[in-house]
Amino acid sequence: LCINNNMASNGLSYDGCNFFRQRLVLSTLSGKHVKIKNIRSKDDNPGLRDFEASFVRLLDKVTNGSRIEINQTGTMLFYQPGLLYGGSVEHDCNLQRSIGYYLEALLMLAPFMKTPLKATLRGVTNDPTDPTVDLLKSTALPLMKRFGIDGEGFDLKVVKRGMAPGGGGEVVFTCPVCRTMRPVQLTDPGKIKRIRGVAYSVRVSPQMGNRIVESARGVLNQFLPDIYIYTDHMKGANSGKSPGFGLTLVAETLDGCFLSAEMSSTPQGQGDSVLPEDLGRNCAKLLLQEVYRGGCVDSSNQSLALLLMTLGQQDVSKVLLGPLSPYTIEFLRHIRDFFQVMFKIKVQKPSEDERKGGEKVLMTCVGVGYSNINKTVK
Amino acid sequence: MDGKVKKQKKHQQKHSGPKAEKKKLRKHDKPTEEDDRRRNPKAFAVQSAVRMAKTFHRAQDIKTRKHHIPLVDRMPLEPPPVVIVVVGPPKVGKSTLIRCLIKNFTRQKLGDICGPVTIVSGKKRRLTFVECNNDINTMIDLAKVADLVLMLIDASFGFEMETFEFLNICQVHGFPRVMGVLTHLDSFKNNKTLRKTKKNLKHRFWTEVYQGAKLFYLSGMLYGEYQTQEVKNLGRFISVMKFRPLVWQTSHPYVLVDRLEDLTNPEKVRMDPRCDRTVSLYGYLRGAHLKNKSQLHIPGVGDFQVSDVNFLPDPCPLPDAQKKRALNEKERLLYAPMAGVGGLVYDKDAVYIDLPASHSRQQQEVRPTTELVQSVIDTHTTLDAKMAASKVSLFTGSATLDPSDLNEEPGLQEEHIWDPNSQRERRKVVFPGEEENVSESSSDEHSSSEDDEHAADEDMNDELFTLIKEVRAESETMAEGAPPSKIQKLEEVKSCGQSVAELPAFADSNDELEKSEEEDEGEDESEEENEVGRAEDSGHCSEEEEEESADEEVNTDGESEEDEEQGGSLVCFFMKICLTYGCTVHQSCSWNTTDFLRVCFLGLKGTSRLGLRGFHALHQLVSAFWFAFPGALRWKEDLQQKAAEAFLRQQEAAPNLSKVVYGSVDSDEEDEELGGLFRVSRPHKSKRLQTNSVDCSRFPPDSSLNWNLEEILDSIRDCFVTGKWEEGQDAATLLKQDDELYGDFEDMETGEVHKSQTAGQQEEEEVWGVRMEDEEVQKNKRLEKKRRLKERFNAEYDDGDATYFDDLKEEMQKQAELNRAEFEEMDDETRVQYEGFRPGMYVRVEILSLPCEFVANFDPHYPIILGGLGSSEGNIGYLQLRLKKHRWYDRILKTRDPLIFSLGWRRFQTIPLYHIEDHNGRHRLLKYTPQHMHCGASIWGPITPQGSGFLALQSVAGTKAHFRIAATGVVLDLDKSVTIVKKLKLIGYPYKIFKNTSFIKGMFNTVLEVAKFEGASIRTVSGIRGQIKKALSTPPGSYRATFEDRLLMSDIVFLRSWYPVTIPQLYNPVTSLLRSVGQKDNWSGMRTVGQLKHDLGIRNKPNTDSLYKPIARAKRRFNPLHIPKELQKALPFKSKPKFQQPKGKMPRDLRRPCVIREPQEKKVAALLHALGTVHHYKKKKTTTVQHAKHKEFLQQKEKQEEAKLKRQKEAKKKLYRLMGQMDKKKLKSSLKGAPKDD
Repeated sequence: LCINNNMASNGLSYDGCNFFRQRLVLSTLSGKHVKIKNIRSKDDNPGLRDFEASFVRLLDKVTNGSRIEINQTGTMLFYQPGLLYGGSVEHDCNLQRSIGYYLEALLMLAPFMKTPLKATLRGVTNDPTDPTVDLLKSTALPLMKRFGIDGEGFDLKVVKRGMAPGGGGEVVFTCPVCRTMRPVQLTDPGKIKRIRGVAYSVRVSPQMGNRIVESARGVLNQFLPDIYIYTDHMKGANSGKSPGFGLTLVAETLDGCFLSAEMSSTPQGQGDSVLPEDLGRNCAKLLLQEVYRGGCVDSSNQSLALLLMTLGQQDVSKVLLGPLSPYTIEFLRHIRDFFQVMFKIKVQKPSEDERKGGEKVLMTCVGVGYSNINKTVK
Repeated sequence: MDGKVKKQKKHQQKHSGPKAEKKKLRKHDKPTEEDDRRRNPKAFAVQSAVRMAKTFHRAQDIKTRKHHIPLVDRMPLEPPPVVIVVVGPPKVGKSTLIRCLIKNFTRQKLGDICGPVTIVSGKKRRLTFVECNNDINTMIDLAKVADLVLMLIDASFGFEMETFEFLNICQVHGFPRVMGVLTHLDSFKNNKTLRKTKKNLKHRFWTEVYQGAKLFYLSGMLYGEYQTQEVKNLGRFISVMKFRPLVWQTSHPYVLVDRLEDLTNPEKVRMDPRCDRTVSLYGYLRGAHLKNKSQLHIPGVGDFQVSDVNFLPDPCPLPDAQKKRALNEKERLLYAPMAGVGGLVYDKDAVYIDLPASHSRQQQEVRPTTELVQSVIDTHTTLDAKMAASKVSLFTGSATLDPSDLNEEPGLQEEHIWDPNSQRERRKVVFPGEEENVSESSSDEHSSSEDDEHAADEDMNDELFTLIKEVRAESETMAEGAPPSKIQKLEEVKSCGQSVAELPAFADSNDELEKSEEEDEGEDESEEENEVGRAEDSGHCSEEEEEESADEEVNTDGESEEDEEQGGSLVCFFMKICLTYGCTVHQSCSWNTTDFLRVCFLGLKGTSRLGLRGFHALHQLVSAFWFAFPGALRWKEDLQQKAAEAFLRQQEAAPNLSKVVYGSVDSDEEDEELGGLFRVSRPHKSKRLQTNSVDCSRFPPDSSLNWNLEEILDSIRDCFVTGKWEEGQDAATLLKQDDELYGDFEDMETGEVHKSQTAGQQEEEEVWGVRMEDEEVQKNKRLEKKRRLKERFNAEYDDGDATYFDDLKEEMQKQAELNRAEFEEMDDETRVQYEGFRPGMYVRVEILSLPCEFVANFDPHYPIILGGLGSSEGNIGYLQLRLKKHRWYDRILKTRDPLIFSLGWRRFQTIPLYHIEDHNGRHRLLKYTPQHMHCGASIWGPITPQGSGFLALQSVAGTKAHFRIAATGVVLDLDKSVTIVKKLKLIGYPYKIFKNTSFIKGMFNTVLEVAKFEGASIRTVSGIRGQIKKALSTPPGSYRATFEDRLLMSDIVFLRSWYPVTIPQLYNPVTSLLRSVGQKDNWSGMRTVGQLKHDLGIRNKPNTDSLYKPIARAKRRFNPLHIPKELQKALPFKSKPKFQQPKGKMPRDLRRPCVIREPQEKKVAALLHALGTVHHYKKKKTTTVQHAKHKEFLQQKEKQEEAKLKRQKEAKKKLYRLMGQMDKKKLKSSLKGAPKDD
């Protein structure tokens, strides 16, 4: 049998488990196989963690013909990507990371499937480490729509909410299939016209939501009157297994860009508890921070935007970002490794009299001319 | 051209005479269409509405059929040469035509046409001619890269199979422009047959290409060449032709190789002649952008990864833009390295073409030589120069030492300058004394050109340099009499530093900034400690070894520093010295302050390039010096501190972001060399930590901003709609603009004229502020206003009937403009990094590990194509195709017979399985392709995007009489598994039959197998349907089943199931280019089973059951019919069984004897007979007479009857009339009577 699926290249090799998702996702999209060595090899508990294994399993579910080899200790992983299949997928996500961890990768893969994806993910919907489901719903989906991924059934639905340690949440993500990406020119974010948000609380007093809203409004009202924060209190079977609360804020600009911030309470039994007032205020400040960073794409979706630009037609795409996060910087390097695409990075310094936050980065690239090779032609 | 060209007689227009009169008259009263309409309106009236609707419909249809889906025009400004493939069967005149065309365009003669020939044909167009030989492999490859096909047809012979094959290949791989050329027309003696042949050929050609396709006629040869005028016309056609972009070509980069070189180490080849070769291939890049390290396929060889790409100066450039009509002699270039034109010299990376014409050109490009041996062999330079170029490494693996490292006496220096006049690089001699001025001016230019581009960087460095200037000024006052040019030099340093910093050498620069950034983005402090420690280390180890040479070295450095201002090498060298001698400096007491300062400046210059580490080294140096001269430099204590701070601040404030992102990845090599001798190994704690840290996309907030403070809050005020708006977008301004546009209006009812306020104001302003406001501003304003007005007008009037098509086209147009403009101002080096190598560039592609046969068996008559592959096109998997046997191919195709496919760039042999889709979406395996229908085919092959066309051949070896293209089709789907199934019937027999239930055995072997099929429907051959119920324990594999009727023991039960088929994973690329010269056209791969049997003489032993045997049928016997007695009684006699014996023969005694008459008796009998006859005759006669009489009588009777009826009728008539008259009278009287009575 053919060990090397790729006839020309020898694939890529990396060290360590950081940026694990990036590597596997880009490998899947580019068709290059990847070998990750020394995964926590010096650690007391070497090898892949459960959540990473769960991620690999999810990847196996959405693809057809992938080959995954893990050595005995789990410190080495070889991944040879198959073709993205899609269809109806159910996955119980590991509780160590929230669904956002898995969903971020799925968002990148979903438009390039053979059949439209309908993924039901179960696990932790909201936790402090990863972008929550609400945040992705309110920022990533409109961003993807800008790239031409749209149509019936492009949706992310939170069926059940499950807070951090216990989980028990459920999310349904559906995405249509797309053949090519549209090049975008997102150079002007426009001015923020409204702020929306969701203050959620499960298995705590329903009053928590109102308290969060109150304090968050207090901070944001200095800038804008058009603020509306929904309170979402889930009960019974929809409330998961652990108590908790949190807030997601989204600022929408005139040109249809979304900036967001979020904060959730510390998981039960992991550190000091937070007052809802403090949480609301801090989250509002985080949003201000995000506005200060600025750009057309908020900081947690930078990599998604850059990926979709890379996968566009062989045309120039431009997007204005806030300062690049370390994750994005690594992502850019990986894009260069997998697709040989380099971005033109231009720093835009704010002028003296302008009061529009910090410096921005204008990212420009020429797409690789990627087309969805998985889709069936009739 | 020869000088005495015959001057054409100029056309002279007649101004008088009858001809002029006629013309004038004609011009004067030319009947226009308008006139016709007026004179004869009836002729132009609508005759029939239906007909009009039809014509309109048709016109619209034709219009829409001309629309293509708009594509983004990705053609670069300077397009690559147009590939013209000249195809045709052998001896049709291909080479002659190419030779004539080349002669027509360039006035040069080319002998053998080997490989592609590139020429400049006009101001904007270059052409590459390729001759296609009669090998189907070559035809397939060239059809994929052709822009224009010149299809040569021997008119004296007619069409040959190759022509049709080539056209079909073209159809599959995207149809390039095709132009037919008829040759050998001079062989027709009869004019009429010539005309007829032309017509026939033309019409056949049209049906193949399209109606009205251009067919060119080359009438005859003259001295072995085609006629000049005809060739010229053909050339004109070619040079104005337009090309529609083909999908495959525009989405993939490709190179038609026109030159190749083997770069393998000769020693390696000598040791092992069959070792893999490193080859560099040259050619114009076409299609899409090519990226470094991407994958490509060489048809006929295989898949490879590009190890390196770089672009070279165009060997055949278009003439510079000048306003003139034709090209001059010098600009008609010809480039054909494979054709061996004139004295062709291959150098390592340069090629010299010596053309026999009056003018000759040189393309040369200089690269630093690396090997000592090679430099010694090279006899073009003197020994000294060679020694200067050579390098020595002291230890294996360490960096080489340049003579510049130990530069004692600066002699004559050379400088490479591009001379635009002579079009070559000139080596200018530069003397050390005057060098400063020259380099100054050049670097000034350089800096000025870069100034605006890198203003930001300059800003960041500004502070530092002002500081240095201050120091410089002070040192001057101290040193008394430093040369006045020093300040200028400082500026030079600045520009130099910048230019170096801006080099896009992300990949391999040993830049310290990158390193530090890569190590940890946020931990500058720890880094600092690290660096200092390292610098000290290196200092220590060097202390013992090179103490003596230290001051000498430093002094020489001081001298050499004078003359090598612009090269970065000195900076490196300086840094090396700094690091090596950092701690020993204090022993060199002969140093004075100026020397030190000079070192300092150079160091600073270095730091701008080398970043943090260099800076710290300098820091070390300075502190060491400081230690040595405590008194002398006390005043600088604070200054140095300041400089350090300033530098760090800038480094933090604005690092080059793209360097941060891209520069660091490659610099994670473990060791880095110091002075070419020592390696530094550094701990990688921070890195280790990073590699295994948490994978999270969250960007933690910057804690430095305190969002409780008012000024921080203020910094984002304008991000909200409530904040301040920009000049142009402010609501007030927008309102004002609207006023300007729509301000003036007249009220029609009242007749009042409303003048806008602003207009009035503006007039006033104009009166007042002509002097105040600039003309420029006014003009811009007006232009802006005009533009906006126009936009609005367009929006209102044009967009009304703008279709979706127009919108789409406009969008594409915009994108194309953006694509062109985005990277336009960049230099190619940088641009290439971002967008890849763009089409039109002349590139050099280096590929490692090509098979040695590629080089050894190279034949320039076979084209080499580098076809770039998309991101996952290098992979292999299952492909599902829609396939149709070609209607001209004379056999159907069999499943599992190997077939050679041409798909994408590739040609490969694989084993297809044919299938057809059933109504429920099942793919059922077919044994053979259908005759006239599409079917599905599944193969194991390279992943190619859906929608790509392919063709299939059974063999590519040799030439055959019949049509070779077996099938064509398109890719539908790619997958890693297949869904083809074939029908499988499992058979069982009943061994026990109850009513409707039976026990069946023999279908399965185990209980488990049965369990899998529980509930499955089964059927007998006689059509009784049933279901499997449950497995039985004995015999194993038997089961209970129920049926809709009772079975017989003789029934056979079967279960219909579908069995998945696996596709054999054969992917065998056609490596025709690797075969030896002369053998390239008979590659043969795997043989079909039929061929194998034929070749090996194996005959199948047929199944004896299948053989035909004479049929011997046994006689059918029936049992006697038994009817019960009771029934017998009840039956009617007719149906009763007859038990009587059939009558036997009449016994003799009962039989009557025959009578024999006597003669007398005979006579009597005869007489009686005669009498009887007479009697009969008489009787007959009387009856006829009687009959006639009776008939007459009847007739008479009838007549009488008729007469009687007539009489009666008349009587009746009379009677009725009377009765009627009476009635009438009665009625009349009654009518009359009544009114009277009233």
